Amino acid sequence: MKVLGMGIIFNRGRGGSALRDALRQGWQPPLSEVQEKGRSHPVYQVPTDVLQDRAVLKGMRRADRLSKMAVIAASDALADSELTEIDRRRTGVIVATGCGAHVTTFDFLDGILDFGEAAVSPTAFSNSVHNAAASYISSALGVQGPTLTVTQFLFSFQGALQLAGAWLREGSADHVLVGAVDQCGEVMAYIANAKLGIARDGKIRPFASPSTQAVPGEGAVFFLVSRNGDGRPYCEVKDVRFGVRGEVLVPAELTIFDADGMVPDELSYASHDAPAAAVAAYSPLWGSMMIGSAFSCAAGALMLRDQVRYASPVPAGSDGLNVLSETFDYSVELIQCVRYNCSAENAVILLQKCTADRPVSP
Amino acid sequence: MMNDSILITGLGSISAAGTTVSESVLSFKNGNRICGPVTLFDTSLKYPVFEVRHIPSQFHREGLRTISLALTAVDEALAQSGLLGTVQEFRVGVCLGTTVASQLNDLEFYRAYRTSGSASLEPVDRYLKGNLAEYVAKNIGARGPRLTVVNACSSGTDAIGVALSWLRNGICDIAIAGGADELSRIPYCGFGSLGIMSVELCSPFDRDRKGLNLGEGAGVVVLETRESARKRGATADLFLAGFGASADAYHLTAPHPEGVGLVAAIRKALAQAGIEPGDVAFVNAHGTATPENDLAEGKALANVFGNNVVMLSTKGYTGHTLGAAGGLEAVFAALGLRERWVPKCAGFRDKDPVIPIAPTDRETKIAGRYAVSTSLAFGGNNAAIVIGRGVDQ
Repeated sequence: MKVLGMGIIFNRGRGGSALRDALRQGWQPPLSEVQEKGRSHPVYQVPTDVLQDRAVLKGMRRADRLSKMAVIAASDALADSELTEIDRRRTGVIVATGCGAHVTTFDFLDGILDFGEAAVSPTAFSNSVHNAAASYISSALGVQGPTLTVTQFLFSFQGALQLAGAWLREGSADHVLVGAVDQCGEVMAYIANAKLGIARDGKIRPFASPSTQAVPGEGAVFFLVSRNGDGRPYCEVKDVRFGVRGEVLVPAELTIFDADGMVPDELSYASHDAPAAAVAAYSPLWGSMMIGSAFSCAAGALMLRDQVRYASPVPAGSDGLNVLSETFDYSVELIQCVRYNCSAENAVILLQKCTADRPVSP
Repeated sequence: MMNDSILITGLGSISAAGTTVSESVLSFKNGNRICGPVTLFDTSLKYPVFEVRHIPSQFHREGLRTISLALTAVDEALAQSGLLGTVQEFRVGVCLGTTVASQLNDLEFYRAYRTSGSASLEPVDRYLKGNLAEYVAKNIGARGPRLTVVNACSSGTDAIGVALSWLRNGICDIAIAGGADELSRIPYCGFGSLGIMSVELCSPFDRDRKGLNLGEGAGVVVLETRESARKRGATADLFLAGFGASADAYHLTAPHPEGVGLVAAIRKALAQAGIEPGDVAFVNAHGTATPENDLAEGKALANVFGNNVVMLSTKGYTGHTLGAAGGLEAVFAALGLRERWVPKCAGFRDKDPVIPIAPTDRETKIAGRYAVSTSLAFGGNNAAIVIGRGVDQ
């Protein structure tokens, strides 16, 4: 399947140009901090002004932040494809999320604790349901194909992308808006700090041994994918596969690792045995997220279209790995995005440069 | 062309209607409706619920009730399919739908955090290890794809649709699919706030219906390619013929009043199955017993199948089990085909004059070979599956 359009919203802004700028500029300290019970934690939150878009968010006054991020990214993916005519009845939506609308869930719990069971907010409840974001996407964009929300923690996005490919192959949809969204709030920052440890300087140091500290992030990434390469596709998704440490990865020219401190021991990344020429981890640009793979995938897609290799923003602490330390124009054909979980299982997304004469894999 | 390449080699269920499939059949036969006040948590609300009274001890996981329910149904389905203990020898995927198990919504954790700024992380650990598909896959040794579908009340049906896609695309050879959900205080309060729960026993499609009763349970099917079943010598009388899904793109909580999304989903499922509406023997409808759902669904079913379709909702026996509903109702639809009868739509008394069709008012014999099961969800998701029964040998 081919990536025809991409939408992204993260702490550095909105859209492909914001992603490109972030990749060129490298790491910058996060601008926001979450206050939780007298403690302050750096987090990569989406600036409020980036979430202002009356046209796209029309009719979503009661929607929560998670849904707004998702709708903006999905809408941008559709617009970015520059396809003026797609059959929206045959366009599907798959939303991947690690933790869903937990901030709204806690708002709903506030209602129970503050006002009692009989006086809780129906709006908070209906927005706390995991598939609220997908519903807003289908309503905002008039998309009426199959609409699904899935969660598989660290592998949520990969499962969604694999399914999008299946839908396209079997003809359940002609186009699929597939993406991921997660939010960071006060309680999640507390949990992240307690379980993973948040880096005080806001800097994720991928591959650091014995453990990388996390810096929670939030945002949304969506892709418009199709079997056909209408327009100017970013790249082709050649494969989505799941495996375990030790299985040989594909000999891609560049491996993007989702090393972001979410796995307590990131030795899986450092010890991977793929014969890749170069590796990078861009998580310091958007923060630690269960759906971080979607952001890596966006970076990979952009690199394949632009034919630029971007420096890994925080290359230190990566002994034994050939980490990209400079940004330069260079031919890139194949990029793999690799994520490990706590059980040393991995998920690999294989992206390939689109060429006019190469047949599209089914 | 008839699509019978994906077999159903196992069924498993647990709900207020019974701890096993056969117990559920008995409840349907006898018209048992085991519904009462909430006993699983303290609440000031008075809406009756359909609780599962007994989970076999070998499947009980402390603090993980949804998973306990799922493991119970999965074990029964695997036993029927002949896969119990041998799952790891095959390419088996697990796709399960849920709502409650996907949410970090532990009230006591949050209360403690809110009060003191510190809380035990035990509920968080439980949440993190409790991803439904992941937990079940690891428990049974499945090594194929895993995905937890969180599509609100259509999650179970959608999960079966995902599994069908996996099988047809060669992503796995066998898939365990369906849904599970426990009764939880959070949606109990949430549905209460929406004003769609009844203080009486629910009465799907009835003229005087007043709303839904929540329930809990798990319903699971084992799906398998014909080739995989042949290789291991398994036989099956049922197959999953088609799946269709469509979004209303209309409203966050209300279905489209004419059920346009549901019509589209059913037509897709029928097309995938390669059959016509007239081939369908009966429909196991979503039928929550809320005024809006039953009206929209009744109109949609009449639109597709005509006014004489045999139709029922089994929620009068189980309550609305949310993410489990699609799984349970797929199992019950399959049972209807296999047993060649469907039960009375429990709770139904009088036809609603504004709904063009009426559900079964007695046990009804079934002659055809296809059944449809439908699900509607928050967010305007609609999903339908077509189950077929093989030609008599």
